[in-house]
Amino acid sequence: MPPLEDIKVLSFGTGGVGPDACKILGELGADVIKIESKDNPDFMRTIGPDINNIAGFNEANRNKRSFGVSLRTEKGRELVGKLIKMADILVENFRGGVMKSLGFDYENVRKLNPEIIYVSSQGFGGGGPFSDFQAYGPMLSAASGMLSIWAQPDDPYPVGSNSPLPDHMASKHVVIAALAALDYRRRTGKGQFIDLAQTEVAASLVGEHYLEYTFNRRIPKPMGNRSPYAAPHGCYACKGADEWCAIAVFTDEEWHSFCDAIGNPAWTKDPKFADLLGRLQNVDELDSMIGEWTATLNAHEVMESLQAASVAAGVVQRATDTLADPQLEWLGAVIELDHPVAGKRLYPGVPFRLSGCPPLQSTPAPLLGQHTEEICRDLLGMSEDEIKQLIDEDILHNPESAKGAGGGMFG
Amino acid sequence: MAKEQEGALSGYRVLDLADSKGAYCTKLFADLGADVIKIERPEGDRGRAMPPFVDDVPHPEKSLHFLHRNASKRGITLNLDTEEGRDIFKKLVKTADVLVDNSPPDYMGSLGLDYAALKEITPQLIMASITEFGHAGPYKDRKGSNLVDFAMSGVMITSGYPGKEPCLLPGSPAYDAASVHASIGILAALYMRGATGQGQYINASVHETSRMGLYPWIVPNYSYALNPDGPPPTSETRMGASVYPVYPCKDGLIRVIALTPRQWDALVRVLGSPEVLLTEEWRGFLYRIANADDLYALMLEFTEKYTMMELFEAGKREGVPIAPILNIEDFYISPHTKAREYFVAVEHPVAGKGDYPGPPYKWTETPAAIKRPAPCLGEHNEEIYCGELGFSKADLVALRAARVV
Repeated sequence: MPPLEDIKVLSFGTGGVGPDACKILGELGADVIKIESKDNPDFMRTIGPDINNIAGFNEANRNKRSFGVSLRTEKGRELVGKLIKMADILVENFRGGVMKSLGFDYENVRKLNPEIIYVSSQGFGGGGPFSDFQAYGPMLSAASGMLSIWAQPDDPYPVGSNSPLPDHMASKHVVIAALAALDYRRRTGKGQFIDLAQTEVAASLVGEHYLEYTFNRRIPKPMGNRSPYAAPHGCYACKGADEWCAIAVFTDEEWHSFCDAIGNPAWTKDPKFADLLGRLQNVDELDSMIGEWTATLNAHEVMESLQAASVAAGVVQRATDTLADPQLEWLGAVIELDHPVAGKRLYPGVPFRLSGCPPLQSTPAPLLGQHTEEICRDLLGMSEDEIKQLIDEDILHNPESAKGAGGGMFG
Repeated sequence: MAKEQEGALSGYRVLDLADSKGAYCTKLFADLGADVIKIERPEGDRGRAMPPFVDDVPHPEKSLHFLHRNASKRGITLNLDTEEGRDIFKKLVKTADVLVDNSPPDYMGSLGLDYAALKEITPQLIMASITEFGHAGPYKDRKGSNLVDFAMSGVMITSGYPGKEPCLLPGSPAYDAASVHASIGILAALYMRGATGQGQYINASVHETSRMGLYPWIVPNYSYALNPDGPPPTSETRMGASVYPVYPCKDGLIRVIALTPRQWDALVRVLGSPEVLLTEEWRGFLYRIANADDLYALMLEFTEKYTMMELFEAGKREGVPIAPILNIEDFYISPHTKAREYFVAVEHPVAGKGDYPGPPYKWTETPAAIKRPAPCLGEHNEEIYCGELGFSKADLVALRAARVV
């Protein structure tokens, strides 16, 4: 039996944080119901021409059932209220104020279900002047201070990454909060409200840089890949376009192994590179000499020859490298799921193992409204006629009636 | 500091054998009220040597990295390479709910302290092992580091200025990915234990958790792009500047997230609807990415008329997310940060007093809080060895002399 076998989760929200968190609760065995409206679908459903065929959406929304309902209608909200009464956990990451406008803020929800665990995750968090600002991951790296140090020292300005980090770290904190609160409820019977700020997750992850300010009164500057206690320490360009291998050498012993691995060329004998202090003081020259060596090899050759000498080195990987990564393959890290619209596609599996339960399973993301009818029947005890009527009135959505929702960012 | 109210995990004891790789995992538990006992070798955790330091003075009690990631924990020293040390460790395990370890594969087994052995002593024990590449498999004995693991995570190729060397995300992103996943596994196991009474073993590697957890969308993006009718593939290179552009303004920089045509229209309104931006082509997201340099040159003239906060507010009003790029000081002094009381003053006996980033969430019933400063090396030896395990002070002196503690 998976850990959360008997747990019901309602997932309200959009984008990365709420959906990814509820995906993980689903992997742990919870019955996760995603509340979605066709008039205001999850943002990630709208970034391509077909709401049911978006890679990112279908990744983040695995292990869920979709309950398609118009939250603009009183009847729709009434049905959602009934689901709230049955839920153990509610997760939401709408823009601050949206749940309140729907009547589903914690004060109202706890009246329906006093023991519920309600995790609210806004970009900036509640209780301050920015609480109702819309936020996406790349904004939060900017607004948290993280982006200001996520650059090389000589970059014109910091740009971070085209990944939405810190989204996928904030989502794990949502899961941690939900699970810790669930265990507390198991022991005490008490539910509670948790207000998570995604900017604060970002700041916590770079906390030592904040202490550098609060203790040393110095505003940290970007360091790029350089380390104050390791050299070489960076990514080195290899043969081919945009191919790189990261190398990290901390101790003098590792340095000797490194020199052996690259064939002890004459320059490595220069006394100025003999110890860490010298390598740090002459790091520009060191990096350029190493770059001359790496440029003659492909990134995998660099990694293999250094790893053979017990030097920390790794290819700057892309998706294709991931699929060819022998360790990830051995671990079974990538799984294939057959989605009704997208077909057989690859997704990340659960990246840890629990010995006390069978391997955690993943199910494909739902079509918008795919489970509306079964949830109405099985959980809400509604008749077929009533369900049909509400679908006809556009109060409930099934995949058929939700067709054409979205619009698409490319439109 | 030291809110004495109960935390969500109060009552649980966590033994922490982790160094900087797993320090964030146990910090999460400590801030939620668990009694986390950090067990260090007598010479101390290597994290104590990690810069930066208070006043830039290298000192085992002044590493800011260590102070942040070990706040709220208690600390003892113990040498597991001695038989006495292992016996004492087994006594401690009997008092524990959770053990977190990030030693290399097989190390705990070589000491007779792997899960199979420990569950004999304490069947309800939940043990989590974080390894670099996995407890077995072809990369089992490979060497990693935060940089190397981040490189392999799939995020780094997208990270940094276009055309330049891929750039490390500050902090310990790969290690922290392992930490949060281990935390999830442990909490799920604790919840399960409530029903079964049995512990279990969790294994997580930095390699797999950072690859699959930090940026999971790369794998399906690639897989979906193999479909000839599918959406355009997301290019796996450094596109932060074109996908989420950064523009200078009067007093700093802003980042703009205009993905949909509606968001772009809102951005144009924010900038006063200049004619040069009203061209129909600019409404297309892919067109803007393909012509990012031209767009950047056009945009400057308009963004530079406003301050960060003016654009932040105007973006909210018009419906386009615009973020100020705050530096570390800006975030610290921001009225929002102050309103949430995110930073908390913590006084450490050697490092002194300073404001620390608090837990990133507010709990109504069981506050998350920094309970105490990071432990000095061996700070709680007497409290735990004499106060709990029944050793006398004379025993402690002898154990110290024998390098057991």
